[in-house]
Amino acid sequence: MTASKHQRSDRVGVYICYCGGNISDHVDVEKVRADVEKIPGVAVARTNMFMCSDPGQELIIEDLRQGRIDRVVVASCAPSLHETTFRGAITRAGANPYIYEHANIREHVSWVLHGDRATAKAEKLVAAAVGKARLLEPLQPIRVEARRHVTVIGGGIAGLKAARVLADRGLEVVLIEKSPFLGGHVARLDRVAPHGEKAADLVAELARSVLEDEAITVLTRSQLVGFDGYVGNYDLRVRAVSDGDGEGQGTYVPFRGVSGGTPPELTIETGAIIMATGFRSYRPRRGEYGHGDHAEVVTLPEFIRRFSMAESADGTLVLDGRIIRSIAMIHCVGSRQIPGIHEEDAEGRLNEYCSRVCCSAVLHAACRIRERFPGTRVHDLYRDIRTYGRDQEELYQRASGAGVVFYRFSPEEPPRVTAAQEGAAGQDFPLRVTVRDGLTFGEEVEMGVDLVVLATGMEAAQVGDLVAMMKLPVGSDRFLQEVHPKLAPVESSVAGVFLAGTAQAPMTIGEACNGAAAAAVKAASLLGRGYLELDPFVAEVDPDLCQGTGDCVRACLAEGALEMVEENGHARARVVAARCLGCGACVAVCPTGAIDLKGWSLKQYEAMVDMIVADLAEST
Amino acid sequence: MASQESEGRILILATESCAYPGADSVGQAHSSYPANTYILRVRAPVMFPERFYLDCFAKGISGIIIMSCGEECPWEGAYKALADRIDSVYRMMRERDIDIRRLRLTAICTVCNRAFLKEVNQMNEIVSELGPPGQLQTGTVQAVDSQ
Amino acid sequence: MTSERTIRCDALVVGGGIAGLQAALDLADQDFSVVIVERDLSIGGKMIRLSKVFPTLDCSSCITTPKMASAAHHDNITILTWCELRALESANGAVTAQVTAMPRFVDEEKCIGCRKCEYACPVLVPDPEQGGFSATRAIRIPFSNAIPQVAALDPDNCMLCGRCARACPTGAVDYLQQPREITINAGTAILATGFEMTGPEGKPQYGNGTIPNVITALQMERILAPHGPYNRVLRPMDGMEPDSIAFVQCAGSRDLSMGVPYCSRFCCMYAIKQAMLLSGALPLADIVIYYMDIRAFGKGYEQFYQTAKAMGIQFVKGKVARLQAQDGGAVAVHYEAQEGDGVSVDSHDLVVLSMGVVPHWSPAGICEVSTADDHFIRSVQPSLSPVRTDLEGVFVAGAASGPKDIVDSIAEAGAAAMEASNYLTTVSRQQG
Repeated sequence: MTASKHQRSDRVGVYICYCGGNISDHVDVEKVRADVEKIPGVAVARTNMFMCSDPGQELIIEDLRQGRIDRVVVASCAPSLHETTFRGAITRAGANPYIYEHANIREHVSWVLHGDRATAKAEKLVAAAVGKARLLEPLQPIRVEARRHVTVIGGGIAGLKAARVLADRGLEVVLIEKSPFLGGHVARLDRVAPHGEKAADLVAELARSVLEDEAITVLTRSQLVGFDGYVGNYDLRVRAVSDGDGEGQGTYVPFRGVSGGTPPELTIETGAIIMATGFRSYRPRRGEYGHGDHAEVVTLPEFIRRFSMAESADGTLVLDGRIIRSIAMIHCVGSRQIPGIHEEDAEGRLNEYCSRVCCSAVLHAACRIRERFPGTRVHDLYRDIRTYGRDQEELYQRASGAGVVFYRFSPEEPPRVTAAQEGAAGQDFPLRVTVRDGLTFGEEVEMGVDLVVLATGMEAAQVGDLVAMMKLPVGSDRFLQEVHPKLAPVESSVAGVFLAGTAQAPMTIGEACNGAAAAAVKAASLLGRGYLELDPFVAEVDPDLCQGTGDCVRACLAEGALEMVEENGHARARVVAARCLGCGACVAVCPTGAIDLKGWSLKQYEAMVDMIVADLAEST
Repeated sequence: MASQESEGRILILATESCAYPGADSVGQAHSSYPANTYILRVRAPVMFPERFYLDCFAKGISGIIIMSCGEECPWEGAYKALADRIDSVYRMMRERDIDIRRLRLTAICTVCNRAFLKEVNQMNEIVSELGPPGQLQTGTVQAVDSQ
Repeated sequence: MTSERTIRCDALVVGGGIAGLQAALDLADQDFSVVIVERDLSIGGKMIRLSKVFPTLDCSSCITTPKMASAAHHDNITILTWCELRALESANGAVTAQVTAMPRFVDEEKCIGCRKCEYACPVLVPDPEQGGFSATRAIRIPFSNAIPQVAALDPDNCMLCGRCARACPTGAVDYLQQPREITINAGTAILATGFEMTGPEGKPQYGNGTIPNVITALQMERILAPHGPYNRVLRPMDGMEPDSIAFVQCAGSRDLSMGVPYCSRFCCMYAIKQAMLLSGALPLADIVIYYMDIRAFGKGYEQFYQTAKAMGIQFVKGKVARLQAQDGGAVAVHYEAQEGDGVSVDSHDLVVLSMGVVPHWSPAGICEVSTADDHFIRSVQPSLSPVRTDLEGVFVAGAASGPKDIVDSIAEAGAAAMEASNYLTTVSRQQG
């Protein structure tokens, strides 16, 4: 074995958290403290009710300031929650934040185990953390120039909003939109629930200001085809969408002319990316509530479009020349699907989530029908009315007042839509809807209708190409996944890539605009200074041990992160820190152990394993 | 009820972006699993050389589960390199008469609670069946490696 | 009034709950200087008082404390707690606020948070931070993870015995401390004043708060919290472990008679969460949620609801008409079941009311910003820019503009910080 050139620390401070009972109810925290104190290298071992609280952090700061310790281990909850908290405390004490190691004795111990075994396991994990901590080295963050430039993908309402506020903040913006138009789904709406603003006004105002802004470059009919680089310095390739009509700039399309618009391919150097890729409307299966079998069954988006051209016959709605005396509107189509009850799609998936906006959208449409066409009856068939937002409950009240009739159905027994049978009552209606109504103690109700409107939910947009290229995480609902709904709600796990609007989950326009501005503020914070500080967890070569075999360069997964250089007449590997991803692929292949990962070194793992297999009593 | 727990120690190498938060999620759900499991947070398991695994067995670790991100791995190409390495570890384990069931490569996502529990319980059963690994000397392993 | 103090900053954030903290952090991370004015003794707002949060069941304090700590330690953020906003004006690109720092009767600079005063104090008072279920002292650190860790004396209960002052190692106790006036000159302001919950008072059919073992949801949060008053789930009247627990939804919202016609938005989800936590703590207990509509609309919420159903939590659709005390501490719940037998009565050991959500703060007489019919701050562009108010340079975030869950409040706080940053940028361009 090669002797480590690094000295092991003999002044590790260990701090064990009670977590207000979360840990101490199952782990004998004081026993852990007493046993850990005897581990070689541990100078101080303390406990606290909440290590994350100010008094808890003060313990660490005080010990560092007094010079009692030079490495820190905190045993508490998952590191995702408080690792940065404790690194911050160490920094405040004037020490290097990377002398820190975390032991997870809540999620991995007290929440899954009870009694003596919990205490013993907690001790092992703390001991392993001490083993690693003794080998930790102070590290310096890597400072990287960052482009004060953001690329927004998607020109719907969220993308437009993000571009608008970023340009106002003084950043340069490129907005990429696949279709020829800006405005996304909002542009396809008429009036917006619950307040009734004209969608056209919302989109037009925002899109115009985006188009007129010199700081924003709008590329329509364009898509992202290349993604390279790292946070602060991404290189994107954008290509014109070739859909027959737009074969890229300068292409002659027979009988159409020469294509104008965007250049065929261009490269964008950008600092951060905002994913505002939106959603797509659920498309009902053939036969789902009669959709596809009966022309009189339409989706809510289809209805909204037709309704904008509605005519009246003595106060009764006329659509496409057809008198609509009675409408059934069915909620939760393609949303809130339950395994075992609903049919899975072709890929075997269900939309188990609530699409959030449909209840208000249906009620808004119902109110407009009843208020403009009192001769048209509206039947509203729902599971739960989810008018959760501001002024939405009022919309529900308004719909009741306007004579909308409500029926509550259970998912096990959904309404049935059938063609009216000859000779039956109400046969003059083309369709019959039957529902077991929970509001009248389960009475079976039948209604003849001229039109059935399906409140189709939102599905994740089909951005599989972007997800694969950018390695973005996707949730089980298939929407883009944030790091944490509360700690990092608009951040993706890819540094410098943020989520805005319905790319993340169903949202109203207001919520999407809030999400977009929240994503924008993160991008502005990230890039505002023109430089950023990256984690120093990169590979490091020990030139004394390097034999210049080049194995590491061949194993390296990041283009250009490792290179061979000539040093005193010998070939040696060199790390390009800003490009290194810190995966460690090089570490495994080095025949002499000359390359290791800073902060996560192989030697540290070996030390951890040694502590896990050691008998604690023996090691003292 | 938790299954019968073995005395052998199980090392779990869990990736920080998938499996480690996945294990946190198991904790958040308060699901219990054997106590002889030690989860180490790793950036990418591709960093471990063959020697690391063999050393672990030599030191007395009874089973190792590598919980990777699988195809979701944030480092392109890392999973392939890892899978190749594990194949080569299996080869070396056979040469040394170590039951290859003691090492398992699997993918665990951040919400894969059931898969996590299944893997841990299976490995626990395997190590209870097999008992502790043979007392190999680290030095022997290295000698073989350097041939 | 003594010791005038003037603070200059780029942005004033009114309210140090989760929305205010997030807005302050998002401004400060862009190198703007921020002052947070908080009315309470600690920052953290409602969230720091909760047990666990839906739909991830993270411990609430674990999510709030990092944000509290980052704000408290941020170079660009100054936090003023126990401060009342007296006036806020915005004109010509400048915001001026008058703030009164209320006396803690403990010198903030001298207090080291050692709690010796608390241990010395002989006066026991019900602890408001534990739903009134356990006792605390007349001088105390408000709760274990409060920021700042500074004691405060409650003058209504103090009997001036002097023991705390004698026990204090730094001489921080000051019985004669006076309110202080602070002037804040800022470029913009964000109102993140949050919400309050109505009490059972004013609801005679639910007993006006007089029926034992009828508690509010916020009290249940404390009972469930890991550092709660009993360390386990007991009913407050007699310490019995309840076998049957009922949640009454819309107990103070969607109810014109309470002046709260709107939906309180997050009660369905917290009731489901509390029910799940209860079923973990008391696996044999029957748990029933009486509801009108289950509004599980957010990301992962519907799945959370379905999980609760699968766990055996009962959901009964029906509005609860009346609650009535029974012998032995049980509570009779009279309701009309919409599925089943119509008018029914069931008995439960403990009843939790999901009360209405109302604004925590009214701008009347303080600030010219408008409120809407629901008394929350009016948003003038609810679709494109929900954070805008009708007062230039003043933005709103979180539950100050209507009930909002934590996730939505945090997103909106980011949006408010973005728009406030841009307002500062625009004003400085015009003036520069």
